[in-house]
Formats: sequence, C-alpha cells, structure tokens
Amino acid sequence: MQFYFSSRPWQLRTIKRGLIIPVSLLMLATVTQSAHALPSFARQTGQECVACHVGGFGPQLTPYGMRFKLGGYSDSDGKEGHIPVSAMLRGSWTHTSKDQAGGAAPHYGPNNNGTLDEASIFLAGRLADGLGVFVQSTYSGVERKSSLDNADIRYARKLTLGGKDTTVGVTLNNNPGVQDPFNTLPVWGFPYASSDLAPTPAASPLINGGLAGHVAGLSAYGFWNDAVYAEVGAYRTLSASALNRIGITDGAVLSSPASYWRLGFFNDMRKQNWSAGVFGLNAALQPNRSGGPSDKYNDIGLDAMYQFLGTRQHIGTVNARYTHEKQTRNAAFAAGDAANLKGSLNDFRINASYYYNQTWGVTAGHFLTSGSSDATLYSASGSPDSAGYTLQADWTPFGKETSWAAPWANLRLGLQHTLYTKFNGTSSNAGNNNATYLYGWIAF
Amino acid sequence: MRTHPPFRVIALSVAFTVLTLASQALHAAGDPTRGAGGFAQNCAVCHSALSGKNKTGPSLFGVVGRKAGGVADFVYSASMKQSAIDWTPDKLDAYIANPKQVVPGNKMPFEGLREAKEREDLIAYLTTLH
Repeated sequence: MQFYFSSRPWQLRTIKRGLIIPVSLLMLATVTQSAHALPSFARQTGQECVACHVGGFGPQLTPYGMRFKLGGYSDSDGKEGHIPVSAMLRGSWTHTSKDQAGGAAPHYGPNNNGTLDEASIFLAGRLADGLGVFVQSTYSGVERKSSLDNADIRYARKLTLGGKDTTVGVTLNNNPGVQDPFNTLPVWGFPYASSDLAPTPAASPLINGGLAGHVAGLSAYGFWNDAVYAEVGAYRTLSASALNRIGITDGAVLSSPASYWRLGFFNDMRKQNWSAGVFGLNAALQPNRSGGPSDKYNDIGLDAMYQFLGTRQHIGTVNARYTHEKQTRNAAFAAGDAANLKGSLNDFRINASYYYNQTWGVTAGHFLTSGSSDATLYSASGSPDSAGYTLQADWTPFGKETSWAAPWANLRLGLQHTLYTKFNGTSSNAGNNNATYLYGWIAF
Repeated sequence: MRTHPPFRVIALSVAFTVLTLASQALHAAGDPTRGAGGFAQNCAVCHSALSGKNKTGPSLFGVVGRKAGGVADFVYSASMKQSAIDWTPDKLDAYIANPKQVVPGNKMPFEGLREAKEREDLIAYLTTLH
C-alpha cells in the first residue's frame, strides 16, 4: 500500500493498530500548530502581551495584533537595538481514557505520560522598516528531533488607495494559513496546544496542516480601509535536500504549484470586533518524487469570528470555521489505497472563550468531521467521521503591563480535556480516546 | 479715533479667561471613571497611564498641560515634534476627535473618537494622571 507517511513514528504505529490514515493527513509534518505570544515582539514595541493576544498568551490576536502582523511584524517603539530572538518551552502530562497498547509513542508508556512537548527558538521581529520575520525552530520532545517549524517572512508598506489607508505586503511562508491575520484558520485555531501522546482523528482536510513544513509559498495581500483583506499565493514542495537540511522527512510532492486564496471582511468597533471570510486551497499531490498520478484536493471554507474586548476586564470570543474538501484520488485509487476515485470531507469547528482580567480563561470547542465513505481508505470503519468537544481552563499570570518580568517572560498553565462522541467512523468506544492534557508553557 | 489699547487688552484678556474657564469647566464635567473605561478601550493598547512607561505611543501620565513631543525618551514623528502644541483640554479634545487633521503626518494609527461626551470623559480621566 502506498501512503504519504508522516515523519512521526507513532503515526506509523497507528496504522499498525488498524486505524485509518487518509491521504490528506499523511503529509502532516513536524510543524506543530501551537503558537505563541513572543516576548521579542513585546520588547520591540514596548507593548505587553495582552496588547496583541486575547488572554495575554498566543495565538488569539486582538485587532492590534492583527495589524502588527499585517504590517510585517515591524511596528516598534522607534528605538534601535532590539534583538528579535525569543524562546519557549512547553511540558505536559497526558492521561487517556484507555491505555494505548505498546505505548503512546516510542519511549513512552501506555498511559499517564509526562513529556517535554516542545522547546523552540524564534527569530521574531523587525529586521527593517516594513520587513519582519516569525521563524521558529522546534525540538520535539516526543519525536526527539529538531526541525524548522512555522515560518513567515513578510514585507509590508502602507499607502492610500481610493482615499483610504491600505496595507499591502508579501509573505514567504511554509504552511498555507500561517500568514493569516484572523483567529479561525487551522494553523492558529483552538486548541492552541494539544497532546502529542493522545490519539487524534485520522481524517482532516489538507488545509488543516497537511502541507505544513514541506512547502514554501509566496503570497501577496492587501488590507484596505481596515476592513477588507484579500490574499492570493502559491506553494511548491521543497527539494528533498532542503527538507533534509531543515529536519523534515521527505513525503508527497506537489505536482504543480498549489494555489491559496483568502478574502475577509473585518469590522473593528474597538469595544468589539468581528470578521467573516472565505478561503481556499487547491493542490495536487504525488505520492513521491518518482512521478505518476496525483491526488487532487480542492478545499474551500467559510470562517467568522467575534470578539468582545470592552475594557479588557471581561473578554469573550467566538471563532468558527467550515471547510469542504473535494478529493480526486487518482494516485490512491490506482494504487488500490482507495476504493472510490472521488470523495469529500466536511470539517466544522467552533469555539468560544471567556477571559477575566486577561488572566483566567475558559474555552469550549466543538469539532465535527464527516465525509463520504470508502471501505479501503478508511479501513477501520469505512467512514472518516469524527466528532467531539474540547474544554480548557488556563491561567496566565503575567503578560500585563505591571507583570513580573515583563516584557521578558510569560507563562500559561492549562488543563484541557478532549472527549469524543465519534472517532474514525465509530461511536462505540469513541470515549476510549478521550484525553486529559495538563501543560505548562513558558515564553521568554 | 482708535480704542484705547489698554482697554482692549483688558477686554480680550477677560474674554480669553472666561472662555478658558468655561472650557475647563466643560471638561471638568466629564466623568473620569467612565473616562478610565474609555482609556482602556481606546488608548491603553498603545499608551500607558504610568509615568515613564512608553509603548508604541508615549506615556499619557501628565499629558494635560504637556507640550507635544514632550516625553524625553520617546521617538516622536517629525510632525508631532514640530507641531508646538500645548496639550490643553481643548487641544486634546480636537486631537482626539481627529488626530490626522490636527497633526497631519503624525504616526498614531487612530481614526479618532467622534462622540464628544466620550472625549470629555476621557480628558477628565487624563486630567487625573498627575
């Protein structure tokens, strides 16, 4: 059977356990989906973490944070000498409802595992007027290897268009959506941190990190009148030698440039704000570099978010995203890895959060993935369907103007519980995959 | 025959004083508690109310009565430094209402606070920052 294997060894083991690994997920790279409020940005601007992030810790951006990102991470207090370097550590303990036979991952026991999740170093901040970077290199304690993580290098200028202030820019990045300013796309969506030692559903649209780290893309964007955001770009797979140099295992290859596009409307009323948008990713993936037929993915989605910020004492947010993926499995069908040439996936996510004094937070999220059946591709049950809830409580004691060690350090402690009502097509025993994740996250 | 100069000076001075007092009375009528909320909503992301704490905007501690460009270690735009504005309540009111019109070329990315009552409350709060 031909699969686009992940570089994550415990995912290979997941296949041995008989769970399904749809093509769209098998390129999942070592790039994580966690994100961060970076003290280097705080030192550069003189702002505290809460200026850019809801709850004082990344990644949920406030309107100021969105504009900072769109402006090329280059806004500053006007002084020279800021060093654009930050670091972070996250450690955790994971409990699953049922033991994972053979261990949750190599070197780990079947349950109740403590680990260093990530240790990252960032080059993050202003390089020149309008030019800035957010580049992360991460050591994964579970994988026991380092690799290039999220990368977004951008240049932006401000101009007047139709009598209105406009920001235009270009971004070079390694994951479709990492450059997005809103809080809804998969790269920056809830949960912002999750366990690498708990089972996760196999089926997911390609845009949910399926190309992360394996590609490089260039896109151009514009943000007109503080209201209309538009972006279009294209991605190509990095060469095998480039992937090797950045610590990422070679996998499937884009047979032609993948196109990415985004359109959003944003309304900032200061006390509250909302956005709504559409996005899309079109890609054709060959199983390897030897050529042959491609599996085609056409992802299109809708998203919306709302933030009540008020005086920042009570903050409430709601983020939602719906993605529809159309698959044409030329390669998988020819190789006998899929019973049907065509198929589809639907992915819906919604979450709501409340933060008190930008310190105490609770978030509840619902996820629902469904799609067309395929007895071969989804061999465990014939169905890609999964659904459930994620609940989180967290405490972020620093990151405010008068906080200890501001702007040099920040901390979040969180307790998260994920519960499944359906897992990889089956409802029975779905709860065996429920997971409790306790984590501590420090950035400096 | 022309009006006697000293008399005209006295009349103008009285008129100016009355107008100034009236203006200050108007701002004094603002509610600083509500103004603190307005500050948190509209200003605090970029400005601190603490003395000596600058962000991408200068500290607003002691801003009422200060000269524009008056915070020593803050990097102002050239247009702000050259504006020679004294931040009286009236000037602050006009600036907060429409920053780009009062100081063209300033770097504050703020469209302005259109509601007069909100500005009045905000300035009443800023007046307490001494």
